Amino acid sequence: MKIELDDAMLLSVEKPARYTGNELNMVRKDPEAVQVRYAFCFPDTYEVGMSHLGMKILYHVLNLREDTYCERVFAPWTDMAEKMRAENIPLFSLETCTPLREFDLVGFTLQYEMSYTNILDMLDMGGIPVLSSERGDSDPFVMAGGPCAVNPEPLADFIDLFVIGEGEEVIGELVDAHVAWKKSGASREAYLESVCAIEGVYVPSFYAPSHQEDGTLLSIVPNRACAPASIRRRIVKDLDAVPFPENIIVPFTQTVHDRIMLELFRGCIRGCRFCQAGIIYRPVRERSVKNLTGIATRSICQTGYEEVSLMSLSTSDYSGLSELTDALLKVTDDQKVSLALPSLRVDNFSLNLMERVSKVRKSGLTFAPEAGSQRLRDVINKGVTDEDLIQSVCLAVAGGWSSVKLYFMLGLPTETMEDVEAIANLAFRVVDTCRGMADGSVFRGMKISLSAATFVPKPFTPFQWEPQDTMAQMQQKQQFLREKLRQISRRVELSWHDNETSFLEAVLARGDRRLGKVILDAWRGGCRFDSWREHFRYSVWMKAMADNGLDPAFYANRRRPVEEVLPWDHIDMGVTRAFLTSELEKATQAELTRNCANGCMGCGAASYGAGICPKTPR
Amino acid sequence: MSFGIRFRFSRDATLKYIAHLDMLRLFERTLRRSGLPVAHSQGFNPRMKLVFGLPMAMGLTSGSEYADVELEREVAPDLFLQTMNRSLPQGMKILAAVPVATNENIMLRIGAARYWVLFRSERQISADEMQDLLQRLIDAESVPVMKKGKKGLHEVNVRPLVFSAAVAKVDGEWLLEAFLSAGANDNLRPDLFMEAWQHLVSRTFQIRAMHREELYASMDNEWVEPTDPRACGVPVS
Ligand code: SF4
Repeated sequence: MKIELDDAMLLSVEKPARYTGNELNMVRKDPEAVQVRYAFCFPDTYEVGMSHLGMKILYHVLNLREDTYCERVFAPWTDMAEKMRAENIPLFSLETCTPLREFDLVGFTLQYEMSYTNILDMLDMGGIPVLSSERGDSDPFVMAGGPCAVNPEPLADFIDLFVIGEGEEVIGELVDAHVAWKKSGASREAYLESVCAIEGVYVPSFYAPSHQEDGTLLSIVPNRACAPASIRRRIVKDLDAVPFPENIIVPFTQTVHDRIMLELFRGCIRGCRFCQAGIIYRPVRERSVKNLTGIATRSICQTGYEEVSLMSLSTSDYSGLSELTDALLKVTDDQKVSLALPSLRVDNFSLNLMERVSKVRKSGLTFAPEAGSQRLRDVINKGVTDEDLIQSVCLAVAGGWSSVKLYFMLGLPTETMEDVEAIANLAFRVVDTCRGMADGSVFRGMKISLSAATFVPKPFTPFQWEPQDTMAQMQQKQQFLREKLRQISRRVELSWHDNETSFLEAVLARGDRRLGKVILDAWRGGCRFDSWREHFRYSVWMKAMADNGLDPAFYANRRRPVEEVLPWDHIDMGVTRAFLTSELEKATQAELTRNCANGCMGCGAASYGAGICPKTPR
Repeated sequence: MSFGIRFRFSRDATLKYIAHLDMLRLFERTLRRSGLPVAHSQGFNPRMKLVFGLPMAMGLTSGSEYADVELEREVAPDLFLQTMNRSLPQGMKILAAVPVATNENIMLRIGAARYWVLFRSERQISADEMQDLLQRLIDAESVPVMKKGKKGLHEVNVRPLVFSAAVAKVDGEWLLEAFLSAGANDNLRPDLFMEAWQHLVSRTFQIRAMHREELYASMDNEWVEPTDPRACGVPVS
């Protein structure tokens, strides 16, 4: 079935080009001529989803297969969703306007917890029962992957199978198994049984959690023989050996990241203790300079994009950075394409580099000390000092940069009001440095902003046992910081995160399977696009928690004993629990841990036998 | 010496929701893919020297969008056309390319456009009756309609902006051909024309599709296509 949208409908909604596809490099295939139809679903708007590198990679990898057609599906914005519901138009793919329910495999990417209700909404609009248990033989298999899948439990009721870890290789195995299963004519369950032992695959219905009286978990164990007791995260060992998309889709309407994204490496050597990404992508694996230069050159030719951006968790840590940028600049200068270098540490090398690459005016530089006091920075293993920061700011101002953005976190474990005050003091030193360096008029034109995010404890970090500050505590800290900043200097523009959003994020991030009912009720109560402030309905969420007899503080604000069974304990991240507990212990002592480049700390990821681990000193 | 080319392009129904600013970006990217030697402006942020004719309203297909581009060296217009057509997204096509020798902004010359509007009538209407309805508009001294402008809604009289119009029945639907004032100043969009007409004759029509068939430049009291040598400042041999 092909959905036809009429003009009147499209002209009455915002940005209709979100819904009409046909972009340059969109993959066109005959759906009748393939064996597997895969719908890649991004549970947010087109502009957000099309900015996501993971989607581009998997779209490419799947469409390289002749027997598979991967298409894209995004969450229609509320204006469009309303009209589609009113006219009974099911959610459809952009490539062939096919309703979601007609696909074989429907895959969601889980980038942030606040997108969960959109998954339910998309399934429902697409004509697929939202609960796995209610799906039948004619329904697609619904799968999900991405960073939030490291704790799959809150979504266990809705997802037939999760992919834990990187998808490039395992996705092909899932498709192969689907082809074989279809031929065999076996039951729906047989497919899940055939894939549940593939490394990186988790079929939640094959595992049964049991709880103790106090609500904590007793265990999560398989309920059938084929399901492994522990599910190991999948990684790609050699990034140069897997395909990377070059002929990426070029959207007609502007997206959030509308450019070529060049992924330098996965993982991060640094091990900041609050950072989930720093753990769940271990070990660091780099793409070669040669491979990257080739990808960039061909991608410019095939897309015509005016910008190439380097992507990684910490660009400065790429081992061949200067060689790479030399090679890339040759290509980009020649093509009059600009090169963007986000997440660079500010030092002489990087400023020099930025000088060379940025033909545009010097706008903002960002610094992320994360915490104000040295003690707290040591707690989180952020190995920078006040002096490092001030020196970087000096360099930046001397280099003519006119805006400075400082990133901090509030509510980190062990934080006291002194630590909060230290943020204000450090900000003041930055203002003072700028004043001293820049002449009067330049200084007056400078913009100094400070963002204070709320700390959200995440699974598989050393802080996974830590409580989040209550909203009242957070408010107190935010007000205190605002007061202190006001007393010291009016030059700093302060922004912080919405407390209700951060609280719910903390609940969902470390939630268990019982939250499935809460997510379902919240969605039924009208929640969707929760990450969009104008749509976030906190009270509906809290009512859903109460209706299901659950206390959000149990998940967000409780210190969990390290012996407690965690909802994600049956997931093997490759990083050992012993490493996480020892990091937690060191955090309380404000003791630093060196980074992977300086020497291995034995986190466990060496068991993959890939990337930096075999190369670094033990 | 730089070298100017004026080209005319079309887009089909799959691409009719691309906004004007997005169109600009689309062509910049197409030009980069094509490898053609496009001239860039000087300065910190070099931009391609590319200027579009009258922007298209969203939701229309067209056979007549125009742009001028400056190249660093001479490229045969035919080669330009073929190269670009290999690089353009499916649904968009360059129909003509000619040398242009004037620096005058293409926009300023545009004075009229020819549109087709496919519509249905809520009530059954005979062909004669439909002709009468259109005649009423043509005979009217003033055809007022509320138009959304920068400063909100205001009333405009569209009658002087209608140069000619005809209607015919095609496969059970109605096809209007309208020759309307167009350009930077007195631009009349076909959907506004339809609204004014419906209002005047108290009927309800349902627009099914709109298409811009041609744009015209005014040269020596004559309507010519923008690719006409006279409009391009090229001596007529
Ligand atoms: S095993 Fe060692 S080198 Fe490998 S990621 Fe862990 S700490 Fe780093």
